[in-house]
Amino acid sequence: MLSVKSVIKWLFSISLFEVVVLCLIVSFQFINLESTITLFVFNFFFASLIFLLNGTVNKKLGMLAVGNVVGLFWNMAFHYFSSAGTLYFGETFEVLYTVTYPMLNLMWVVPFFSLSLCFLPKPQNAGEEAKSF
Amino acid sequence: MIMYMVRHYIFTLTVLRRAKGAKTAHVVSSIKYEPTVSILIPARNEDRVIGRLLERMNELSYPKEKLQVIVVDDASSDLTGIIAEESSKRFKFIEVVHRRKENGGNGKTSAMNAGFKHSNGEIILCFDADYYPQRDIVEKLTEPFLNPKVGAVQGRVVVLNEPQNMVTRLVALERIGGYRVDQEARGSLGLIAQFGGTVGGFRRCLLENLGGWDETILAEDTDLTFRVYLAGFKVAYVGNAECYEEAVDSWKAYWTQRYRWAKGHMQCCFRHFGSVLKSNNLKLGEKIDGLLLLNVYFMPLIALLSFIVGFVLIFLKASMLAGILWFSVPVSFYSFVGNFAPFFEVGIGAHLDGRRRIQLLIPLLLFTFLYNIPICAKAFLDLLGSKIKGKSNTTWAKTQHLGSGNRYIGNQTVTLERTS
Repeated sequence: MLSVKSVIKWLFSISLFEVVVLCLIVSFQFINLESTITLFVFNFFFASLIFLLNGTVNKKLGMLAVGNVVGLFWNMAFHYFSSAGTLYFGETFEVLYTVTYPMLNLMWVVPFFSLSLCFLPKPQNAGEEAKSF
Repeated sequence: MIMYMVRHYIFTLTVLRRAKGAKTAHVVSSIKYEPTVSILIPARNEDRVIGRLLERMNELSYPKEKLQVIVVDDASSDLTGIIAEESSKRFKFIEVVHRRKENGGNGKTSAMNAGFKHSNGEIILCFDADYYPQRDIVEKLTEPFLNPKVGAVQGRVVVLNEPQNMVTRLVALERIGGYRVDQEARGSLGLIAQFGGTVGGFRRCLLENLGGWDETILAEDTDLTFRVYLAGFKVAYVGNAECYEEAVDSWKAYWTQRYRWAKGHMQCCFRHFGSVLKSNNLKLGEKIDGLLLLNVYFMPLIALLSFIVGFVLIFLKASMLAGILWFSVPVSFYSFVGNFAPFFEVGIGAHLDGRRRIQLLIPLLLFTFLYNIPICAKAFLDLLGSKIKGKSNTTWAKTQHLGSGNRYIGNQTVTLERTS
């Protein structure tokens, strides 16, 4: 029979997963398709690579959820910024925004990925060779 | 671009799964294999670093009666030859080959061939003068030769002077991605593990059959890798055979080194592309990986072309959609996941090595990618120019080693630094 602790853990995991799904839905509904694709790409790399490393599932899910929230707000901020810029400067601004869009997203995806790795425990045998002359 | 992305992703996943499954880091073979080994050290004006390497040669755990170390003093104008001679007097297994200005100073490949002629070992290993190997590296590098299909080996390169500045840190990150993930995965998947020109070696008989190092090519390591595979042999990657290098410590030196690599790699691509496609000695996976490896230095060029075409199309308003596509898709794929060592590959490699702080610098790898665009473009244009003119432009631009790595080794070697 499941203990209370494990039930809480399960519920916590499910709620974190819900945050991720919610971010995807919100980005699609209120921002644009590109932002949803970016979040998908981030989730894909994160889930398929970081989930294979040592560390608790909840910790990884938590980081994934935070990453999605960060990505969502990042995209939202830039989306409104581009809308305002397009109104003020015209179509050229929208083109420039579209062109630089992948680079702008790179600025949160890569740092967040590398930051997440820092929070995970070191693997066994890590760096043994590198330190021994 | 997408193929490179998929390739790097598969590599990362392979190494991760392997690291998760392997509980023991290294299984030592029960068979004792101690062939005679010749170590070639080409050195041109390396007096700041050669001393520490030759001291290290004496500290190697491999039986000295089976070891021959050949220093090729390649027309040095500094104290390299004198330091090597002094070491040769102290240690009988060290020999020095002096090359005068008339016949020397033509680059590493020429020096390697000169050293190879003097060697007599069954296995030929090579180390650059700025390298500092582990004590048991020779045992580790010779072990794969028990397999008759193995024609060459490659060990791992780790940056010694990593804390020196931002350039060395970023080079260290590139090295982590390249060796901890790329090379290891290629070895595991039975693809084209690459001989890196140093911290590696060959069977003597194979190297003789191949005719030694090709002096007309700048990326002699890549050239030899493909010649080994095309001859029906394999390159074995030994990840736990580590050697510490003094990485380039300025953007100028980085340019010089990468320009040489890019140009040499492109030469190799022109030379081996057809042979790889037609070869009966290569499996389909090896062919695909080989072709991707040969073309890797063209990718920044494609990115550059996409910049130019994209901008032109946008500003001419020829086709808005085409412009956006030309510009954004390659850039995103390339910088996001398709660089020589994409961010996730470097990140996972650094994590598996237990490196935490350096992981935070991964976003800065974007600058090295951007820096590689003009490097590769210039290399390509120069190569094209020399092809059109019919002149072979293979001047070896040597990387200067200032001995900055000495301070990271230990007190015993700090004294080797030249005081003048």
